[in-house]
Amino acid sequence: MNVESNAAAILDRVKEKGAEGDLIVDEGQALSLKARDGELEEHKVSSSQIYGLRVIKDAHVGTAYSEAADEQALNSMVDQALINATFAKVEADEKILTTTGSLVTDDALLCPSDEVSIENKIQFVLDMEGNLAAKDKVQNVPHNSISDSIVQRRVFTSSGLDARLKQRMCVAGAYALMVDGDKNVMDGSGRAARQFDQLNYTDIVDEAYERCVGLLHGEPVPTKHYDLIFDKEFQVEVFSTFASMFSGKTAKDGVNPMRDKLGDIISDPCLSISDQPLLTDGFGYALFDSEGTATRATPLITGGRLETLIHNSATAAHFGVSTTGHAIRGPKSTLGVSLHQMHIDKGSDSPATLFSGEYLLITDLSGLHSGANPISGQFSFGAAGYLCRDGERIQPVRNITVAGNFYDMLKKVSAIGDELFWNLERSAYMPHIRFSDVAVSG
Amino acid sequence: MLESKIADSVVDHALSLGADFAELFVDRNQVNNIATLSNEVQSVQSGIDFGVGIRLVYGYKVLYGYTNKMDLDELRRIVSELSAKDLRDPINQMLAFDYRKPEEYHPASDILSLDACIDGKVAYLLAADKTARAASNMISQTRGSCMQREQSIEIFNSEGLHTDDKRNYIRTSLTAYASDGGEQATGSWNDGGLRGWEIRSDISAAETGSEAARQALVNLSAKACPSGRMPVVLGNGFGGVIFHEACGHLLETTSVAKKASVFHDQMGEMIANPVVSAVDDGTIANEWGSINIDDEGLETQNTQLIKDGKLTNFLSDRLGAQQTGYERTGSGRRQSYHFAPASRMRNTFIEPGEDELDDMIASIDKGIYASHLGGGSVQPGTGEFNFAVQEGYYVENGKIQYPVKAATLISTGPAVLKEISMIGKDFSLACGMCGSVSGAVPTTVGQASLKVDDILVGGNA
Repeated sequence: MNVESNAAAILDRVKEKGAEGDLIVDEGQALSLKARDGELEEHKVSSSQIYGLRVIKDAHVGTAYSEAADEQALNSMVDQALINATFAKVEADEKILTTTGSLVTDDALLCPSDEVSIENKIQFVLDMEGNLAAKDKVQNVPHNSISDSIVQRRVFTSSGLDARLKQRMCVAGAYALMVDGDKNVMDGSGRAARQFDQLNYTDIVDEAYERCVGLLHGEPVPTKHYDLIFDKEFQVEVFSTFASMFSGKTAKDGVNPMRDKLGDIISDPCLSISDQPLLTDGFGYALFDSEGTATRATPLITGGRLETLIHNSATAAHFGVSTTGHAIRGPKSTLGVSLHQMHIDKGSDSPATLFSGEYLLITDLSGLHSGANPISGQFSFGAAGYLCRDGERIQPVRNITVAGNFYDMLKKVSAIGDELFWNLERSAYMPHIRFSDVAVSG
Repeated sequence: MLESKIADSVVDHALSLGADFAELFVDRNQVNNIATLSNEVQSVQSGIDFGVGIRLVYGYKVLYGYTNKMDLDELRRIVSELSAKDLRDPINQMLAFDYRKPEEYHPASDILSLDACIDGKVAYLLAADKTARAASNMISQTRGSCMQREQSIEIFNSEGLHTDDKRNYIRTSLTAYASDGGEQATGSWNDGGLRGWEIRSDISAAETGSEAARQALVNLSAKACPSGRMPVVLGNGFGGVIFHEACGHLLETTSVAKKASVFHDQMGEMIANPVVSAVDDGTIANEWGSINIDDEGLETQNTQLIKDGKLTNFLSDRLGAQQTGYERTGSGRRQSYHFAPASRMRNTFIEPGEDELDDMIASIDKGIYASHLGGGSVQPGTGEFNFAVQEGYYVENGKIQYPVKAATLISTGPAVLKEISMIGKDFSLACGMCGSVSGAVPTTVGQASLKVDDILVGGNA
């Protein structure tokens, strides 16, 4: 039985039981390699498949999943989802979409074929590790890897929708431990591409080395308030940490601090944020969401004003609006909402303006998962980077913390750069933003 | 779960292709999750994860693959694909499987495969919600969850090992949200264990609800936290995350073997204040981070890591032992068949001391009492770590003054271990999830309250 016939059998069984449903089938193949001391340390291959079912019967929602694809396991999954639904509260707003037809992404664009042999991939990771390990003061390269993965998502509904997204992602990265007397530092770099031959290990080695050398002799700066500019990686991390501020789901649940602020000015007027799911350069590209709704660009904050929250069909129905195409559901999870690719409009500030005077350039943050509270906006992170003046790095900085309230920080934007950058994972496209007056402890 | 003759054929095939060692890890997880929002059931989810991980070792090189399919052809295909670049004449001969049933140290009765007990769990979560919301009209919302999991594992390897085990996990939690109309704050509490829903008789919905509400209300009234270097008293239980991050990860041979731990060459040396003795114990009955056998089939152990300040042991898995020469400690763990095993912590804690919490606070001129800690992370190569204060108070002239908002504490492992000057008697354990190279595994942290003389507090006052 293939995926299509399994999906048809599952959804037929759902309908026979007097319910409606949608089915997510995720499939993946992946290769990953790691090197150590000039030898291949780990070679991993995998193939996986998982079915995740959501059923709705008499306005009760239940979910179940299975990694086994035999008939008995899949029938059991249907029955278990229906049993689970009997315990759930009435969800009058949650329905299976009535959309029919098919949505299919372009394989040539998103999942190009691989022309690089396994031997060349092994040589790539050995060269990356070896060249970085050979650099001055580098003790070893404890974290290094390359991966080449293909993921495919299918969404089938009992109404007859069949949607398919298939993407390839190749990633390489290396982190070095650098030691100089009693000073040490660990830092690194990485790259991602849709085809392996678009990766170049020398860029990774050079950047990883420069990041280590730059921070090796870092010291804390005095405790006071500074202007901050995050590098392109960690600016995305910070915005992503608080992305639930746009969630219609947390608003429906009563825990989104922005739920009553639609139409209000919530940030500096120079800030405009949107979601751009159809930018094909990004790995967050999405032709459709997890309910099968076709996606579109969605303005979130325009000129500082909160334009909309993001919705799936259920949260949209709750608030009496239309879905924005931001449903998110994995095979093992219930229906939620999520951004696809956050985009911040570039500003008008030249590098000379953006990087004028004294500021801290933050190139590393730690504790993002534990040091932030998206409900209150409070955060406190470990940090490292550089004290800069007029664009020049005048002191490497380590062992400091940055702390504040993210929602207050959005109102303290003093400059926005005039150039856009993707982060490594190409999940967001943003200019540099300068935040003023942030508490730093050293 | 996997027929022995299939396992035999796959392992034999791997050795015939020149592998030094071959292992099959068969993994079946049955899962049930219940989520409540306020006084309603938001969702009930269930599912089964099932697959086989295949590990081949050539020297120090690990080849790893996994699949959801259990048939002989698929398993042999993965072995052939993995070893294609390492083919050589056979080195070792496979030993016949000798099945050994591990001792059961963690009995469970109300297990998932018998009954998910959904009604009872829902009643518990709704009772906790009721208590939380009764605490104050400023408690605006609660989220509850109950996760139950039954993991069945079976391991075969080329040295003749054939064993299996079942692990029953249960975890409940409640998060309370407090709001005064403008500000919002949260508080949470959770319980868990390596056992079934019979944990119900040892936990209290009322205590869970009132504790989550109390924390949320304290945090709602908190002021900005002072910044800078100062003494900090860390509360008991989850306060033990400081040792987990500052030291535990640095003692795993996963980092030690690569010399990516600042402690890799300090065995037998004083790495902590002499008041510090620490343990990683996988044997505590029904504790969240316990196991009968590790994910390489070795019976787990109680491992003394630090004794009176001196480093006495690393945590070692099979490959780590091979690479470092330190004996295996039954610490080879992995989240699932998706991961090769690595040396990981189990129940890790600093042993209790003789000091009183009141004396620790009284000894502070200006500092913080962090009564509840959140999560954290560490960079093993440099020892730099961070963890979050979930509930804290400013202390001045030896007295608690007022609650402070969330702050991060940062330092390095070697530095902070020497700054621990007082350890209390109020020892307790708390459960969490630890993420690392072999995925997220259940781990317990623990300690009595303790005083760190000097650490950087990242406040925003």
